[in-house]
Amino acid sequence: MSTPDQHGRVNARVPRLLALTGAAALTLTAGFATPLDPAPRQAAAADGDKVLTVAVAQSVDSLSPFLAARLVSTSIHRLMYEYLINYDPKDNHAVPGLATRWEPSPDKLTWTYTIRTDSKWSDGRQATAEDAAWTFNKMMTDDDAATANGSFVTNFEKVTAPSPTQLVVRLKKPQATMAALDVPIVPRHVWEKVDDFSEFNNDKSFPVVGNGPYILTDYKPDSYVRLKPNKTFWRGAPKFDELVFKYYKDGDAAVAALQKGEVSFVSNLTPAQAASLKTQDDIRVNDAPGRRFYALATNPGARARNGQKFGDGHPSLLDERVRHALFMAVDRKTVIDKVFQGHAVEGEGYIPPRFSTYFWEPSDGQTLAYDPAKAAQLLDQAGYKKNGDGKRLGKDGKPINYRILCHATDPNDKAIGQYLQEWWGELGIGVTLNCLDNVSDPWLAGTYDLAFDGWSVNPDPDFVLSIHTCAALPATPKDTGATDNFICDKQYDDLYAKQLAEYDPAKRADIVKQMESRLYDLGYMNVMAYPNAVEAYRTDQIKSITTMPEKAGNIMGQDGYWSWWSAVPADSGGSSDSSGSTGVVVGAVAGAAVLVGAGVFFALRRRATAEDRE
Amino acid sequence: MTTETKGVTAGPRALAWQRRRRSAVRFWQQYRTHRAGLAGLAGLAFFALLALTAPLTVGSDVSSVTGAPGRPMESPSGEFPLGTDQFGRNLLGLVVWGSRVSLLVGLLAAALSVAIGALVGITAGHFKGAYATVLMRITDWFLVMPTLVLAIALATVMSRSLGTVVLAIGVTSWPTTARLVRAQTLAVESRPYIERAKALGGGHWHIMSRHVLPNVMPLVLAQTTLMISSSILAEATLAFLGLGDPTVVSWGGLLQDAREAGAVSSGNWWYLVPPGIAIAVVALAFTLCGRAVESVLNPRLGVAR
Repeated sequence: MSTPDQHGRVNARVPRLLALTGAAALTLTAGFATPLDPAPRQAAAADGDKVLTVAVAQSVDSLSPFLAARLVSTSIHRLMYEYLINYDPKDNHAVPGLATRWEPSPDKLTWTYTIRTDSKWSDGRQATAEDAAWTFNKMMTDDDAATANGSFVTNFEKVTAPSPTQLVVRLKKPQATMAALDVPIVPRHVWEKVDDFSEFNNDKSFPVVGNGPYILTDYKPDSYVRLKPNKTFWRGAPKFDELVFKYYKDGDAAVAALQKGEVSFVSNLTPAQAASLKTQDDIRVNDAPGRRFYALATNPGARARNGQKFGDGHPSLLDERVRHALFMAVDRKTVIDKVFQGHAVEGEGYIPPRFSTYFWEPSDGQTLAYDPAKAAQLLDQAGYKKNGDGKRLGKDGKPINYRILCHATDPNDKAIGQYLQEWWGELGIGVTLNCLDNVSDPWLAGTYDLAFDGWSVNPDPDFVLSIHTCAALPATPKDTGATDNFICDKQYDDLYAKQLAEYDPAKRADIVKQMESRLYDLGYMNVMAYPNAVEAYRTDQIKSITTMPEKAGNIMGQDGYWSWWSAVPADSGGSSDSSGSTGVVVGAVAGAAVLVGAGVFFALRRRATAEDRE
Repeated sequence: MTTETKGVTAGPRALAWQRRRRSAVRFWQQYRTHRAGLAGLAGLAFFALLALTAPLTVGSDVSSVTGAPGRPMESPSGEFPLGTDQFGRNLLGLVVWGSRVSLLVGLLAAALSVAIGALVGITAGHFKGAYATVLMRITDWFLVMPTLVLAIALATVMSRSLGTVVLAIGVTSWPTTARLVRAQTLAVESRPYIERAKALGGGHWHIMSRHVLPNVMPLVLAQTTLMISSSILAEATLAFLGLGDPTVVSWGGLLQDAREAGAVSSGNWWYLVPPGIAIAVVALAFTLCGRAVESVLNPRLGVAR
């Protein structure tokens, strides 16, 4: 399951997923003043209902599990539908979900899942193996239904349900990820009536029939998503009376709402926000190792599976020495200290250290550590010499200038871009930051040299590994492939096939590490950091909540429904008045600034002849 | 240039210079009576000096992120009078350095806007007929379009650079000037001496450049001064919305950085207030000057004040 976050690209189709989207204009005032809440929600204790309100920044792309790919949507699907197998919140090992047992046949090609008998759909019908078989078969036969999770079923030959409690999957080739099928199972009797899966967004009739810990009861695009607890959920009903995901396009507005007690939970905090929230009463800041990596991806010369080349990546980047030199001219330590201000771990291999089974570090001789002198030497060796002005010349005799694709909505991209400009400037290489709200067009067309990239990694790393295989390349330049940045390497592909067919966990982990090593040596993906999940919640509204992993884990965007399912409301419930004097000070200062600005505007407007008001 | 030999034998050029000097003195004497205008002028002189001497006082190193002297988000202290930004750079230095971009963009955008406006206004007023009708309908169309939305759209589709911002502001804010200039052109062209010039064989170009332009120039000058302040505000707005070049330090860009770093909710006022006040003061100074100039040059407005 692709669960890319703000740095990720969703199946390379919906590339930009963070908070402030193109309509940033609307946040002009929100940035200064306290956010005005057009439809004030009642605080938790107002009418006796315990409401858990979560501030989210990402828009829902679709509520149909067959289409949704954004982190916020897939997180909601985890709450609405039970998956076959879940991950343990303590250590990520596979635990029963809708299936209670699963085992392969001796020839490794047939998997049998035993479906539980105590899971009911919210309309009273029993959830059976037939529902699961129908879901998989639909994805295998209807291309539109395969949009989001099609990669899971490409290797399926046949899926049947011999009895209501037995699901049998026949594979074409052995597949090690059969205990990590992150596919929501939908009720057949409801979804059978859908004609066109590419159009149906599952957001017309409420409540939506499901069997997860929560039932979706209401949804308004870019406004809110409302869920009620499923009282008959087999693992036990959630404790809150309602769960609301509420939209805050502006991070500061969400933090202000948290300070006032309007929301219970905020994620994606900046270092400054985290530092100031830490000093406030009734607010707990959760700063835990994250599950994603943050990287600088190089364009290796975009091409399609049919061999056709396209795009206009800089030819010098095809030289491994140049890529290594660029690698060595990035001081990852400074990135962690200054940009993330300690809220991240220095990047090394492809998979974050949180997934210790698959975490890999380069050996001493292999490490491309920060060493500008050696980087300059490498560039000289590669034949990219400096001219009289101190600029390095490409093979075409023109000074080298790399275009870096950056997300206009991500402050980290812009901040690191400024560092790169100075670090690489010392090497004699020019950098143009190309910050766009929507990076997908140049990304898919391959018209960039380097790009800021990032993916959330699942407990099973198959998906993030698969996006660098040749098979993920687009079929023709006109198509959209699952590929991340057009990497295609024979050695890597061989290893990928090997790990997928390896059922022994230790051996598989070893092959995955070899893949990471190969990826590192190629120098196409410079993993700079593993950003922490920096989140905060009100302790006077949420008494306890499960993080994943339990020790030092995140709350938002887990591989499972643990956080929102386990959240226990605080006794007092209501929000306190002591929302911190800082907020008041800021309000006053911001108010003063607005007043001064308003004065100027007023002066301008008084001018009788000026009809055009800026 | 103005050292003038007195005497009755002065040629026509010397006479013209004498006349210009006299009118400049007269202009200054009247301008002096507007105290708000003087305050605006003092503010402008201060900021102009600040921007021009910035390479000497703070230097371009102030915007370097790798050589940042402090820790991120330090509060004001003796070493950093206005604290530091998210990279640990000196904010006082950044505000001073940012004045260069903000003023430059403001001036260029206003110049572009007024140039387009004057060209459209004068030609529309001079040629009349179908040409003027078409041109003024285009002007009306631009006039009713929300300027900010149009500028955002333009800045989004073009690459992120200073030139883009100048262009985006310039091509969206000219209609007011065009209408004003056209009205003035019509008034000037109805005067008898224009007819006289035509009778003596003056062509379109001669009339527009030698007779109309000098007469609409005072209006254009006042309009430019007023346009600069709105251009600076527009530049700050676009940069604040993240549509500027992120690697260039400007006041609006500083506000955007502050917002993205979460300075509002975490109470780091020193990151927000100085650039905000700088924008307000410069815009105010240009407005005050513009209004003073306008009332000096336009006697009908002067009475009311």
